[in-house]
Amino acid sequence: MANPTENPPNREPKYELDIDEGELEEAEDEDDTASNPRTESLFRRMRSAPVPVRVHDVIVKGNEKTKDHIIEAEVEAVIREANTLQELLEASRVANSNLRALDIFDSVNITLDSGPPELPGTTNVAKSSSVEASLKYKNIFGYGDIWDGSMVYGLDSSAEVGLGMYLPRFKALPTPFSSRLYLSTQDWLKFSSYEERSLGLSLGLLSSKYHELVYTVAWRSLIDPSRLASESIRRQLGHSLLSALKYTFKYDQRDSYLRPTSGYAFSSTSQVGGLAPDSRSLRFFKQEIDLRCAVPLGFYAAALNFGVSGGVTFPWGSGYKNRASSVPERFFLGGNSSPVCSLSGPSALWGFSTRGLGPNEARRRGDVERDFVGGDAAVTAFADLSFDLPVRWLRERGVHGHVFACAGNTAKLTENEFRNFSGPKFLETFRTSVGAGIVLPVSLFRMEINYCHIVKKQEHDRAKSGFFLTFSA
Amino acid sequence: MEGDQDTSDFTLVTRKPCFGLPTACPNCLPAYIYLKLAQLPFQLAFNSTFPDSEELPYFESGTYVAYNNEDGGVIEKLEKDGIVNLDSQLQSLPDYLSLKALIVSWLEEALTYEIWVGTEGVCASKIYYSDLPWVIGKVLFYKQTYLTKNRLGLTKENAEQREKLIYKRASEAYEALSTRLGEQKFLFEDRPLSLDAFFLSHMLFTIQVLPETSVLRRKLLEHSNLVRYAERLKSEFLEESSSSPSPPLHSFPSSFSGKGSKPKSKPKAEKSEEEKKFKKRARFFLAAQFLAVVIYVSVMGGGSSDEVEYEDDD
Repeated sequence: MANPTENPPNREPKYELDIDEGELEEAEDEDDTASNPRTESLFRRMRSAPVPVRVHDVIVKGNEKTKDHIIEAEVEAVIREANTLQELLEASRVANSNLRALDIFDSVNITLDSGPPELPGTTNVAKSSSVEASLKYKNIFGYGDIWDGSMVYGLDSSAEVGLGMYLPRFKALPTPFSSRLYLSTQDWLKFSSYEERSLGLSLGLLSSKYHELVYTVAWRSLIDPSRLASESIRRQLGHSLLSALKYTFKYDQRDSYLRPTSGYAFSSTSQVGGLAPDSRSLRFFKQEIDLRCAVPLGFYAAALNFGVSGGVTFPWGSGYKNRASSVPERFFLGGNSSPVCSLSGPSALWGFSTRGLGPNEARRRGDVERDFVGGDAAVTAFADLSFDLPVRWLRERGVHGHVFACAGNTAKLTENEFRNFSGPKFLETFRTSVGAGIVLPVSLFRMEINYCHIVKKQEHDRAKSGFFLTFSA
Repeated sequence: MEGDQDTSDFTLVTRKPCFGLPTACPNCLPAYIYLKLAQLPFQLAFNSTFPDSEELPYFESGTYVAYNNEDGGVIEKLEKDGIVNLDSQLQSLPDYLSLKALIVSWLEEALTYEIWVGTEGVCASKIYYSDLPWVIGKVLFYKQTYLTKNRLGLTKENAEQREKLIYKRASEAYEALSTRLGEQKFLFEDRPLSLDAFFLSHMLFTIQVLPETSVLRRKLLEHSNLVRYAERLKSEFLEESSSSPSPPLHSFPSSFSGKGSKPKSKPKAEKSEEEKKFKKRARFFLAAQFLAVVIYVSVMGGGSSDEVEYEDDD
C-alpha cells in the first residue's frame, strides 16, 4: 500500500492521479513497503491522533478521451477538503467510488487504500416479471456519457423499445442527468379492454439518494381492437398528450430490500400533468404515499413487517368535478407482486388477480367478463411475519417462511361521485385476505409461493383461495 | 334487438358538432339523420379525441353496441339487428341499389376529395383535430391527408385528370338525383329511406361546411329542387325540437368562404378567443425558450470574449 510522504508542517504534498488505459492510480512513494520504519512511525501517529496534511495540487494525466473536468469534478472537491491524513484516506475512498460510479473506466485503483471497496457499476433494475435486452455505449463524446438502447418485454404483455442517455455532469445541475426516448405498448385487453400505446420522452432532472424529479412528455393512445370495451372505457379511447412532472421522495432505512427485518421506509410520489401551453393536454394531479416498517422479534430471525399505501388522483382545469379521470392514471389493485418490497403506491394485494378488484362495468353484449376500470382513490395495508425455517439447508440459502394478512380498497371520486363517497361505506367494502408461504430470494428478486385465503371480497372481484406464485424486484 | 330495452337508453356517439350541424363529421351525420328520419328518440354523445377511429359513429343501448366498422356500417348493422329499419323490402330493388351506389361511391368520393384536397383540409382540421393538442393534431392531419390521397389514387402526374373526373361524376350524380327527385318529398316512394339519410347528409355538409369557393358546392347549388328537398327535410326532421325556424340553406354563410366570412354565432367568437389565448401562451413559451438559449450562449461565450480582450490589451 502506498502512502503519501510524511510531511513536515511547512511542506505540502503533491497528489497525482494517473489515468492510463482507464486506470486511476495515486503517485507512489518509492519507499512504500510496510516494513519501512518511516511508514511504521506514520501508522503509529495515525493511530494516536489526526495527522495534519494539506493537498497542494491534483494532477490528472494519461486521459486521452475523457475530459479533464469530468474526472476533476468527481475527485477534486472531496480531496481538497481533507485536512488530515485520515480524512485524505477517506476522501480517496470517496473519489474512488465516484469514479467507479461513472462506469466508463475498465478499472479504478487507488494504491493508497487498503483494498478499495468494490462498488457495483450502474445497474439495470429490471422490472419485475420482465425480460430485457440492452446495448450500452459508454463515453462516446468524452463527457462520461452512457448511451443505451433497450428492448423490454414484460410478462404482463407490455413491451418497450427505448433509447437512453445518461450524463454524470450536465452544466449546473447538481446531480446526473438522464433522458429516455421510448415507444411502449401495454396490453390491458384481458382486464380492462384497452391497449395503451405511448411515444414519449422522459427527462431525469434530479436524481439523488432521496429525491427524484422526472419530466415526461408523451403521445398516448388508447385503443380497443377487440371492440368489447365497456361504456366508460369506450369514452376514453383516443389520443392524448401527457406532459407531467413527477417528484419522488424515498427514504428507505430498512436493512434489506428483499427481506427487511428492521428499519422503516417512507415514499411519497407527486405527479402533476398538463404542464404545457396547450390546454388540451392531459390535466391531472396524482399523489401516492407508502409507509413500511420492519420490527425484529429476536427469535428464528423473525420480523414483523407492516405497511400502508394510499393514493388519490383527480383531474384539474375547468369542469374538473364533472370530468372523468384518465384511466391509465387510476389505481388498480391486485397482481402477482408482494407488498413487502414494493414502494410504488397502492397496488399489490395477495390473492387478488391483476386489476382484479374495484369499480367494474359490464363489457359489450356477448362477453360475460367485466372491465375493471380503476379507482380514483385507493388504500392498501398489510402485516407480514417472516421467520427462518427449521431446516439448515434452507436457512443457508435465505429461504424463509411467512404468514401474512392484507386489505385494500379503491373507489371512484370523479364525475361527481365524490359527493356519494362515505368513509364507513369505503371501510365496509374493504377486501381482505390472509395466507402463509415460503419466500425464496433469487439474486435480484424475491419469489414467493403462498397459499392465500380470501376472507372478504365484493361481487365480481377476481379472487379465489389457493396457491399463488409472486415475484418482486 | 329483442325489444326489451328502454328506448330512452339509446345513445349515438359521434364526432363533435360544428358549422351549425349536430355532428360535423360526414361519416357520422348519415347515422344521425337516419335515426331522426326513423323518429327514434336517442341521445347524442361525442368523442373528439379519436379522429382516426373506424368505429365512429357507434350506437349503444345498455351493453348492445353497433360499431360503424361492422356489417357494412352502423346503419346496416342497426337494420340487421332489428333496432330500426327504414329500408324493409327494398334492399333488393335494382333502382334502389343503383341510387345507393351513386351516393355512397361517386358522391362520397367527391366529398372526400373536396374536404382533404380541394379545400386543402381547412374544414377537416376544425372538424377532426381542433380538440386535440396541436402536435398530435398536426401529425394525424398530415397522416390522414396522405392516406386519403392514396385511397383516391392521386399522384402528381394524374392529379388534374383525377380532379376533373371526380367533379364530372359528382355533376352527373347530382343531375341524375335531381331528375329522379323532381318535386317529390323523398327520393324513393313516399317515405324516408336510408338513401335520404345519406344524401341529405351529403347535401347539408356540402352547403354548410364547404366554403363558397368550393367547386362541389357550386355544382350542387345549381339544382334548386335538391336544395328545396334538403331544406324541407331539415326543417321537418332535424329541427322539430328547435323553437326558431332555420334560415334557408343556400344563404348560410360558410366559415371558410374567404374574406367576406363573419363569425356567425357566439360559440365561434368564444372559440376564436380560446385560440387567441392559446396562441398567446404558445408565443410566451417560445419566447421563454429563446431567452433561455440566448442567456446560456451569452454566459458560456463570456469567458472566450474576455480572453480576446486580454490579448488585445497585450
